[in-house]
This record gives sequence, C-alpha cells and structure tokens, in this order.
Amino acid sequence: MSINENDVILQVQDLKKHFMPHQGLLQSLGTKTKKVIKAVDGISFGIRRGEIFGLIGESGSGKTTTGKLVMKLIEPTSGKIVFNGEDVTITDRGRTKAYRRQVQMIFQDPYASMNPRFKIRDVLGEPLIIHKIEGDRLRHEEMIIKSLTEVKLNPPSDFMGRYPHMLSGGQRQRVATARTLILNPMMLVADEPVSMIDLSTRAEILHMMKDVQRDLGLTYLYITHDLSTARYFTDRIAVMYLGRIVEMGRADDVIDNPIHPYTRALIDAVPEPETGMVDIIKELPISGEIPSPANIPPGCRFHTRCPYAKPVCSEQTEPELSDVGNGHFHACRRWKEL
Amino acid sequence: MSMKDFNFRLLEFWSDFRREKAGLIGLGILLFSVLVVLLEPVFLPYKDVNGNWRNISYWEDNSDSAPPAWTNIFTTKKSATTRQFDKPAVTEEEDASYGPVKMYSFPYKYGYDLPPLDLIIRARASGMALMLLELERPDGLIVNLGEMYRDGLEDDDIRFAIDTESKANVFDFAREYASAEAISTSDAQNIKPSYILFSKTGTDMLSARDALKGEYFLHIKVPAFLLEDENNTLDDVRLVVTGRVSGILGTDTSKRDIYSGVVAGLKWALFIGIITSVISVLIGVLYGIISAYFGGFVDTAMSFVFEVFVSIPVLPVLIVMSAIFKPSIWIIIASLIVFSWVGPVKTVRSMALQIKEETYIEAANALGATKWRIIFKHMAPLLLPYSFANMALSVPGTIVFEASLSLLGLGDPTIITWGQILHDAQVSGATLNGLWWWIVPPGLLIALMGATFAFLGFAMDKILHPKLRTR
Amino acid sequence: MDKILEVKNLRLYYHTNKGAVKALDDVSFDLYKGETLGLVGESGCGKTTTGVALLRMPSPPGRIEEGSQIFLDGRDIMGLSEKQIRKDVRWEEVSMVFQGAMNCLTPVYTIGKQMLETLQEHREMEKKQAEKLIKEYLGLVGLPPEVMNRYPHELSGGMKQRIVIATALFLKPKLVVLDEPTTALDVIVQAQIINLLKKLKKTFDLSFIFITHDLSLEAEVSDRVCVMYAGKIAELGTNQQIYGKQGPMHPYTEKLLLATPLLKKKVETLSFIPGAPPDLIDPPSGCRFHPRCHKVMDKCKEEIPPLLELEPGHMVACWRCVK
Repeated sequence: MSINENDVILQVQDLKKHFMPHQGLLQSLGTKTKKVIKAVDGISFGIRRGEIFGLIGESGSGKTTTGKLVMKLIEPTSGKIVFNGEDVTITDRGRTKAYRRQVQMIFQDPYASMNPRFKIRDVLGEPLIIHKIEGDRLRHEEMIIKSLTEVKLNPPSDFMGRYPHMLSGGQRQRVATARTLILNPMMLVADEPVSMIDLSTRAEILHMMKDVQRDLGLTYLYITHDLSTARYFTDRIAVMYLGRIVEMGRADDVIDNPIHPYTRALIDAVPEPETGMVDIIKELPISGEIPSPANIPPGCRFHTRCPYAKPVCSEQTEPELSDVGNGHFHACRRWKEL
Repeated sequence: MSMKDFNFRLLEFWSDFRREKAGLIGLGILLFSVLVVLLEPVFLPYKDVNGNWRNISYWEDNSDSAPPAWTNIFTTKKSATTRQFDKPAVTEEEDASYGPVKMYSFPYKYGYDLPPLDLIIRARASGMALMLLELERPDGLIVNLGEMYRDGLEDDDIRFAIDTESKANVFDFAREYASAEAISTSDAQNIKPSYILFSKTGTDMLSARDALKGEYFLHIKVPAFLLEDENNTLDDVRLVVTGRVSGILGTDTSKRDIYSGVVAGLKWALFIGIITSVISVLIGVLYGIISAYFGGFVDTAMSFVFEVFVSIPVLPVLIVMSAIFKPSIWIIIASLIVFSWVGPVKTVRSMALQIKEETYIEAANALGATKWRIIFKHMAPLLLPYSFANMALSVPGTIVFEASLSLLGLGDPTIITWGQILHDAQVSGATLNGLWWWIVPPGLLIALMGATFAFLGFAMDKILHPKLRTR
Repeated sequence: MDKILEVKNLRLYYHTNKGAVKALDDVSFDLYKGETLGLVGESGCGKTTTGVALLRMPSPPGRIEEGSQIFLDGRDIMGLSEKQIRKDVRWEEVSMVFQGAMNCLTPVYTIGKQMLETLQEHREMEKKQAEKLIKEYLGLVGLPPEVMNRYPHELSGGMKQRIVIATALFLKPKLVVLDEPTTALDVIVQAQIINLLKKLKKTFDLSFIFITHDLSLEAEVSDRVCVMYAGKIAELGTNQQIYGKQGPMHPYTEKLLLATPLLKKKVETLSFIPGAPPDLIDPPSGCRFHPRCHKVMDKCKEEIPPLLELEPGHMVACWRCVK
C-alpha cells in the first residue's frame, strides 16, 4: 500500500525523559543538585500510516527508552505524543488500556517476553482476557488459531498446547508477533526483534513481519542497533545519539549519503564480507565511547568525539534538525564544510 | 492449569523428591504423625484423655510420679506395673454368711519384687451395692479385704481402694503370722496393705517384704438376693492395680499418664503449626509481592510497617496479649500469625523485585494487564514453590512458639499441648525431682516435629528453588 | 609455514540423562603460526565447544572422546595429565577470551587486584614487578594505568573487554581463542576492539582462533574460515575462497551468506534457511544438514559426506560438490 506523506499516525514532539537517580537520605542532604540522567532529551519525529520507521542507535542512545515512552510503559518528563490524531501523552487508566489495544510491542527476547509457565494457548489468550474480548472459550480459540495462521505457524493446533521452551527461537518470535496481532492493533513497536535469533532464520522472521505488515496494513516502529537489518527492513530511519536524533530520512538516503559525522562513523564501523580486509587496521573516523547521559557535553553533544569538531560546535547552542530537502534531516552545523 | 498438567507436575516433583533422603525421612515421620492423629483412640490407653487432662479424679487410680514401665529392664528389683482388668470371670458361689452369691474373679499374675501400691475396685451401680472382697493368694491363703457397702446409688461410679479401706482387715491377716513383737510396734493405720498382701507369710512379714510371686485372684462376691431386686444394678466391675511404674512414659505428679498426654498433644501441635504457617506465609508472600510490585510510596510505607513488626519483641507482647485475652487456641493462633507473617516478606520482596523486571511482566503490562492480574497471574505462581517450602520451614517455629507460650502458663487450658505438659513439669519441679520422663518426651517431640518440617522444607526448597539445585 | 595447532578427529560428547549430545563429531583442522582461523556458525553448532576443547577443559558433563588428537606445536596434549596441562598448556600456551568474560569481572575488587591475582597464580613475582607488568599490558590494550584502581562498574563494556584481552595475554601464550569477543559491544567499539586485536597479533606474533556467528565480521578478521554446522565442519577455506567472487561451495555457507543483510548493498529479498538446527542427541542420518538443504539428494540422507579438499586449501563436506 502506498504511504501518504501527510497521513501521520504517530507524532512525537520534543519528547523528554529524564531519570532522577535514586539517592539515599544522607546523599540527598549532602549534594544540592541531583545528577539527572537525560535518557531522551527532546526528540521529535512522525511515523506515517503503513510505514516501517527505524530508530537506530548504540546502547545508551535512548532508543529503547523512546520505545517505552511510545508504548506508555513509562511517563515522559515533557513533550507530546499524538497517536491517530489524539494526544495520548497523559491518559487515564481506561484510555491507556484502549491505547494498548491499538499499539502493541514485540520484545527483543521472545522467550523472556512470555511467562514460562504459560502454554502458547494461554500466552495468546491473555490479551483477549485482559481486554475482555467478547466470546466464549471456543470463539477465543478460533481467534488464537487465526493469529497463529497469520504468523505462519502451521498447523496451529500443534503449537497451542506447547510451552515456550519447547519452541525454536524463530517460532517463539512468531508466537510473540501473533500475540500482538490478536487484538488487531494499528501499530507495533518492535525492540530488536531479531537480534537474539540465529542468522539462518533471522530473514525468515523479518519476511514474516513484513508480510503481516503488508497484509494487515500495520505501522512499525523498529528499534535496533543493527544498521544492516534496518536498511533491509525499514522505509525511513532516525539515528539517535545520546538522547537526540542526529539524522533522519529515507533509509537508503541516510545510509548511502550520510550527512552527520556520527552516522558516517556508524556506517564505517560496520564490517562487510569483503575479502582482503584481513590484517588491515581500519581508520576509524571516531574515537572514544559514548559519554554518560548524566553528563552531556555542551553545544553539539557529539563534539567530544567528532573528528571535524571546531570551537563553534561546543560554544553555540545545540543544533536542531534541518532538512536538506527530500525529507532528509540532520543536526550538524558544519555539514556543508565536510 | 488443567488436572493433567497438575498430575504431571506432581509426578515430576515426586521423582525429584524421592532422591532427597532428608525429605523422605521428614515425609515418613509426617505421614506417621497423621496416622497417629487419625487413629488416636487406638494409640490412647486412656480414651477420654482429651476432656479430662485437668480432671484430677479421672487420674486418681494412677500412682503419682511413676516412671515408665520399661524402666524395669534396668532395675534389679522389678516393680509392679499399673494394670487395668475389666473382664472378670463370673461364677455362682455359696457364701457362708450370705448364701448364694455372684462372684467376680480377677486373676492377677504377680511376678515382681516390689508390690503394687494399691488395688482399686471400681463398678457402676444403682440402688444398693454390697461387695465382699477377698484376695486368694498363690499359697492358698484367702485374705478377707472387707466389704464395700453403698446405698442410694443412681448409676454412680463406686470405688474401693484397698490401700485405705482394707487396712484393718489386712492387719488382722498379718496378725495371724507375724511375731507378737512386730505386731505390738505397729497398728492397722501405719501398715501398707499391698506389702503384706504380696509378701510371704512369716513372723517378719511386716518388715521383710519377701515377695510371694504367683497367680493371685481377687474375688468380689455380690449376694444374689441384692441382684434379684430390679432397683439394684451392678455393671462394669473393674480392677485397677496401681503399680509403681506405669505405661510407656510414666505419670506426672498429678498421676496423669504422660504418654496419653503426648499422643493427644500431637494433633494440636500439627494443627497450630500448619494453620499458623499456612496463613502467615500466604499473608507474607502477598505482602512482599505487593510491596515490590507497586514500589515507590507503597513500598516505602509497607516496608516501614514490616520493619515495625520485625522489631517488636514478640514474646513479651504475646505474653501481655495472652494475659489480656482469655487464653484460647484461636487467640494464640491469631497472635502467632500477627507476628510470624513477616517471615517470608524480605525474601519474597527481593524475589518479586527480580520477577518484576522480567520482560514478560513488561509484556503483560504492554498488553494492558491490570496490576492485580500481573500480581496473581504472573508473579504469585512463580513464588508458590518458595511459599510451600517456607510454610514447611516455619512450622517448627510456630510449634516452639506455642510451646513457649504454654510453658509460660499462657496456653489454652481446654486442650493438651506439649508446651503445657512441659509447663506443668516445670511448675512441679520435675527436673529437681528427677522426673525426666515428664520433660524429655514432650521436649524431644517438639524437636522432632520441628526437624520433620525442616527436612521437608529443605527438600522442597532444593527441588522447587532451581537456583539451589546442584546438578 | 609451521603449524601451531593440529586437531584430528576431535569428538566431544556431553553425556546427559537423555543420551550423549554429540557436540563435536570428527572435527579436524590445522592452524598455522601467525594465522587467524575463524570458526563460524549458528548457536549450538559447536564453535565454543571447539575452543574449550583446545584448552582441554570441557564443561561437565562434556568429555573428549577416545581417538581425538590435539597437537599443540607438535606436542600431543591429549596424552598429558591434567596437572601438566595446567602447568604448561592452559594460559601458558593457549589462552581464551570467553564470551561475556567482561561481565564476569568480580565487582568487589579493583581491576589491578584481579589482574594481579591471575598473574601471581601462574608466576612467582614481586608485587612491584607485577604491577609494573600490569601497567605495561594496560598500555598495550590502550588503557591508562589509573584503570588499575578502578572497579569494574566504573568502566565501559569496551574497556572491560580490553582488560579481559590483556589478562589473556599476560603469560605470553602462542595461541589465543577469542570467543565472540565483540558480540555485546556496539559497532564502533567493536571496530576499535578488532583494530586492537589486529595490532596485538602483530606485536606478540600470535595465532588466533576467532569464534563468531557474524559472517561479516569473520570476513574482516580471519585468514581462513571454518564453517561449522551441528558439530561438524561443513566448509573450510581461505577468506578468498569463502567470501570471494566464486563464492562458497557448501549449500549451508551459500545460504548463510545470502541471509546476511548487507549495509552497503541494498538487497531486495534476503533468503533464509527453513527449519532449525537438529537435536544433537539424535542427529539426522547422513549429512546433518540434509533436512534443511535446498540441494538435497538421496545420497545425502544416507551417507555422511567426508570433508574433502576439493581445491588447494578448500575443504568441503558435501556430496553435491564431489564430482
């Protein structure tokens, strides 16, 4: 299905999540200012209906926190989340529950995301019970079978009575996907859905997810650290660094023509199966490691590691995202000089 | 969980449990205890002990402070044991003075060195009762023990103790054989009838006490004309030989049979132990989960309440409570629960904090599950095994606790508990008087019951708590 | 070139209640001095088990079976007693960087104390001298000497991994087994660690066995690549033979490469291998890959394909490739 650029299903505006570290009584007396961990520090993006949107970043970039904010598993410090035209930033319990019918989540480790004491039937039946979906046991059973068929676990009856540990990694992720589909959601948040799955079946799961997305007209927020699967799987991506988006655009544009020095470094660091690279020490355009989100550098937060940093980068205020046309955004002041 | 799954889990549990020796020992003792409780009448020599533990007259036929019968094995001079006879041989005889009589005869084989303390004749009678008592000795002599005459009875228990009521008759019997010198220095009041009755005759029979072993017969003659009157009935003629040693575990200073007390106390130990630990562990586990799951202010507040309960000195408070309320088993159980629910809280809270972080809890949350659904459907079942183990492990504590309360004299007087037996022993100075059979058995049983549940608990903990598994 | 390691018919079974898990079955390969051999495959294919077997320390209930031979620098280490292994092989000749080892540093001791302990376990050394050596090695892995006084939780994943690598090199081993040394790390840190390893290899004249599930990474670090499947070697060849234009020979390697998403080339559809790796208690008859293979023949189901050298230095175990 074609994606209408103006039909935005999820709009996130200047979203922030700051964590206050736990302090003991004595500590809070001793220090005047608390060190705030700025996990997500003012991000804005829109996801169009029927699109797969990738959120890329290293650990500590805030991508998982963003996913949890969108899922409303945690409350944002400030900012706005608009879903399907409705502001869902602050909702009461009933509204949150209704929201969760429309937005579902797939977790990184499918095994960990299912109660080991539940059979597949119970795993899939749980959302039906939680949302008090009408129908007796038989009707529920039918719905469970239908969703298992959607994720191509055939024949469904073979799987219903099994426990999660009796399935392979790929089958588990299919069940996890089936669980999200059973309530007919509009959007799925998938946090590293294939990183725990063996290479040989990884593509199979991605195919399945894509098929489901196409068949049911779903929208995905795909969170990953893996640029390669992101390129393969997503329509648009946003690259996060230390709680902010540094570059955003169509996946091919961003990866083939990266603008921000951080995106470039990320792409250069990815190994590719090319011969003749053995024993050659690659020049890395970036040094050091991602700083602590409790201690964010002033100005452009990447300047401490940026090979092109000039005093202007640290002295001026934080660069905002700007469009180079073609919906390709970046947050680098000196991009023209690079 | 369907029945089939449950059976499967149970089988799986059993196959693991079978390998735990301590657990099997615990289970064995527990099953035996349950058997004893179920078949209590079979094990009780005094069937009505449950209602009569504090009824002095119920125990009056016993000797006080008698050691267990089996102590005879270790002594050179064997003592007569307490015995009860309730099936006399009934014959028709002619009596010189009363004519035709109905004669109840109790044969008693006497093979000890030290005679019984007393012979007690009991019966139930209405109207008028007259019994002529005689003892036929192995040497052929028949001793007249006097007669029991009661009137105006209405299905009453009648009792005749030779030790007090036949002194004169027995003295008369001795007078025939003993030396005049011996007779002149004693009188009918200061002799011990049983010594004379069970000793060989001779001039020194008042002091020599040379046991005459053999078969004795106690004859009770009832004049036939009395029984012909419909108003007079006589049933249930029994003989109690009050020995110097008694039963499996002897008697206390109030003549109570300790073995009966101990057996009757078992069910209360199990009842108090199990009820208290099941309820308090359930409360504690739920408290821990809720505290951990809700976190924040709720957790802080609940932890505070928990700390308060933990730091209350339990025993003094319980003593005060028991003193205020009329001691009853329910008050005791309730107060034990009030203080023992804190046991599992800390561990459960930390376990629940871990489970709370599991992805599937987050997944359930993302599906929109309510807090209570997460607590009862996802968290509590995982803590169930721990709870079972914890229940078993907290039983010993409760049993000991009840015992301590009873020891302090705060037990429920309507029931028999091991703690109360110990309390009575302590009050009567049992240790000072060397009545070890009064203290050791209940003490050991408290320890054994504790060990039983501890064994069970350890074994369950090991099986159900995969982290402790050594495989 | 001299061989530093020769493995012949290595079999390692885990003897469980349900039967023997044939984790390694007839694995044979060589390693030349100064070379990096990559072991690659899916989880459960036996790559880590191979690494552990080289140190002769299979985790119970694993056992290296009779008939397995491991020659280290020409010396048969299968014949040595456990004591001798500990004295002159383990950590002295062969060391290993375990997967996730960086998360196994003791949280209550400083880095310096932990490194000192490892060192003094094997060498009698004065404390001052040992500390000097530790500082030297920290420098070699690109860490400042102050790190000695830090606790593990104060360090990032990349720094901890550097410490684990430094510890593995302490006793100057000739061969280092690296088990997924970069798996838990971010790409940029991964690239830094890979660079470091390449540098260290030159400095110390080391030979590496590099275990990973990431084919792309293997291409960048290994001279030769050994593809394993279900406890057996499927294909072994030079980097050029596996990743070059001509492509691999074994259908498994072929499919695995096609299933790897590439960053710099847009692929329309990735392929995948249907099914899951087999149960190694009762592996499939014949070729263990045949139930998932797209080129399966009748012969594959019955006879185990031998590992044959089909072109110089390129060994393949596939009936299809036998002409």
